[in-house]
Amino acid sequence: MTHGASAHHRSDGPQAGHAGAPSHDDLVDEKIIVCYYVAALTFLTISMLAGLLVALQLVHWNPFKGTELLSPGRWRMIHTNAIAYGFLANAFLGTLHWAVPRLTFHKVFSKPLSWFIFGAWQVVVLSTAFGIVLGPTFQDQPWILALAKKWHLPMNLGAQGLEWGETPFWIDPVALVGLALVAVNFMVPIGKSKGPMYVSLWYFMAAFVWTFLTYAMGNLLPEYAVAGTSAGAIGGLFIHDLVGLFVTPLGWGLMYYFVPIILKKPIWSHGLSLVGFWGLAFFYPLQGIHHFLYTPIPMFLQYGAVISTIAVELVVATVVINFFGTLVGRGKEFFDNLPIRYFYTGMVFYFITCFQCALQVTFTFQKLIHFTDWVVGHAHLVMFGVFSLWLFGIMTYLFPRLLGRPWWSRSLCEYHYWLSAGGLFVMFLDLTLAGIFQGYYWSSLQPWDASTNGSQPFWITRVFAGLAMFAGLLCFLVNLWMTARGAEATDPLPARAAGTPTA
Amino acid sequence: MSEPTDTTGGRGTGDSRGAVAGMSRRQAWVTAAMAVLILIPSLYGFAGKFVEFVHIYRGTSGGEFAVAPILNYLLASAGFFCMLLWAAWNGMFRDVEKPKVDFLENEARLDGGVRCPLFRR
Repeated sequence: MTHGASAHHRSDGPQAGHAGAPSHDDLVDEKIIVCYYVAALTFLTISMLAGLLVALQLVHWNPFKGTELLSPGRWRMIHTNAIAYGFLANAFLGTLHWAVPRLTFHKVFSKPLSWFIFGAWQVVVLSTAFGIVLGPTFQDQPWILALAKKWHLPMNLGAQGLEWGETPFWIDPVALVGLALVAVNFMVPIGKSKGPMYVSLWYFMAAFVWTFLTYAMGNLLPEYAVAGTSAGAIGGLFIHDLVGLFVTPLGWGLMYYFVPIILKKPIWSHGLSLVGFWGLAFFYPLQGIHHFLYTPIPMFLQYGAVISTIAVELVVATVVINFFGTLVGRGKEFFDNLPIRYFYTGMVFYFITCFQCALQVTFTFQKLIHFTDWVVGHAHLVMFGVFSLWLFGIMTYLFPRLLGRPWWSRSLCEYHYWLSAGGLFVMFLDLTLAGIFQGYYWSSLQPWDASTNGSQPFWITRVFAGLAMFAGLLCFLVNLWMTARGAEATDPLPARAAGTPTA
Repeated sequence: MSEPTDTTGGRGTGDSRGAVAGMSRRQAWVTAAMAVLILIPSLYGFAGKFVEFVHIYRGTSGGEFAVAPILNYLLASAGFFCMLLWAAWNGMFRDVEKPKVDFLENEARLDGGVRCPLFRR
C-alpha cells in the first residue's frame, strides 16, 4: 500500500546536499501509520453508529428495543470509549510516528515495539468493548462470584464506575503497560535530539508522562485506594485531565507541527507558544473538581478549580493569538487549503469551548446547566469539533503522501469537511439550547416528563445533525477506498482550489 | 519545486533591533504581557490554595477530602517545576525563537523537492 509512496520519497530525500543526514524513509515507518489510521477510522465508524443508536433511543425510535446487548445503556459507553481510545488515541499514535522522527531526526526506539504497541492497543480497545457489552451478562455467573470471594476482588467484569474510564478494571494494568511502552518508544528519540527543543516536542513529552499518570490516578486510586468524596474528586480530575493532559497536548503539539509546514511559515512567536505550554502545565492539573461544584468537596478546592479554569482561558488566548498571528498575510489559505481550513475551524471551536468552559464553571452557571444537555454539547464541541476535525485535516494532508497518489475526489473531501463541521455546529447549538431549556424546566420544579417532552424537538434535531456528521464520514471512507484502489479521479478542480501544492 | 520557506514569519528581519534575540519588539511585548497576565492570577490562586491547605492540615474539618487531589497536584507540578529548571539550565530558552526556524528548515531538507499534491489539478 505504501510502496508507491516510499519510492516517491526515496529519490528526493534530505541527503541531497546533506551527506549523512537521515532520509524520510530512514526515519518514518509509513505502513504503521496507515494501519493506525485504518484502526482509528474503524473505531470512529463504530462510535458514531453507537451515538446514533443512543440519539434514536431518546426520540423513541430505537430500532433494537428490548435487545439487551444493544441497549443504549451499554452503547453510550462504547460511543465515548471508542472515540477516546479507539479513534483519538489510534490517530494520534499514528501521526506521532510521522512527526516525532522527523522532528528529532531519530527513529522511534524500536520498530518491533511499535508494532507490538499497535497490536496491544487494539486488544485493549476491543477488550474494553467486550467488557462493557458482555461484562454485565457474565457478572452473575457462579464461577465469577466464587473467584471474587476467593481473591477478595470486586470482579466487576463490566464497566468501571468512572466516567470516561469505563475500561473494565482487569484491562487497566495492560493499558498502563501499553502507555509506558508508548512513552519509552517516543521519548528515546526525543532524548537523543540536540539543542533547544521545538514547542511540539515539549507538548509530546508532557503528553507521554501526563497520560500515564492520569490513567493510573483515575483508574487505580478510586478502585483500590480512596473512597467516597475523595474518590469523586479524583474522578473529576481524571475526566478533565484526560481531555487536558492527553488529547490537548498531543493536539496542539501536532498543530504547531503541521500548520507552519503547510503554510511554509514559522509560528508567529515561539516564545509565546512556550508561555502557552508552561501555562497549561501548571494550571490544568487541578481543574477537574469544577465538575463537582456544590458537592461536599471542600469549597477552597472548588474555588481553586474555578480560578484555574478561568486562568487557562488566558493560556488558550495566547495559543490562539499565536496561530492567527501566523495566518496573517496567508488568510487566503483558510479558504483554498483544506487541511488549514480543518485546523483553523478546530481552533475557533477550541476557543469557543474554552470560553464556554470559563463561564460554565462558575457557580451561577452551574445552577442552571448541571446535568443538562449543555454539557453534552460542550463535550461534542471539544472531542469532535476540535480534535476530530484536526485529525481529519491531518489525515487529509497525509493520506496522499502515505498512499503515493492524490485524493480520488476533491468534492468528497469538501463534503466531508462541510458535513462534519456544519453538522457538529448545529448539534452544538442545539444541545446548548436544550440544556438551557432543561435547566429552566428543572429550576421551575415542573414534573420530569415536562422536561423530557420539551426536549424532543432538540433531540430530533440532534439525530439529523448526527446523521449529517456520519454522512461526512462515509464520504471520507468512500474517497479513501477509491484513492487506495488507485481509481481515476472523478472531478479535477481548478488549480486554485487544489489545496496544499507540495508536501 | 516547492515555494521558498519564509523563515522570518513574514516580518522580515529589519524590526528586530533592540528586542530580545530572535524576537521582534512587538513579539517581546506580547509575550511579556501574556506572561504577566498568566503569572499574577496563578500566584494568587496557588498562594490561596496553599494557605487553605495548611489550615486544613492543622485540623480544620474536611481535610481528608482535600489531601488526595492536592497531593496529586503538588506531585505533578513539582515534576514540571524540575523540568522547567532543567530546561533553563540546559539553555532551552537562550535563543527562544531559533527552534521554529530550524524545524522548518529541517522539514524542507527532509522533503527536498518532493511534490505531492492533495488533489489532481
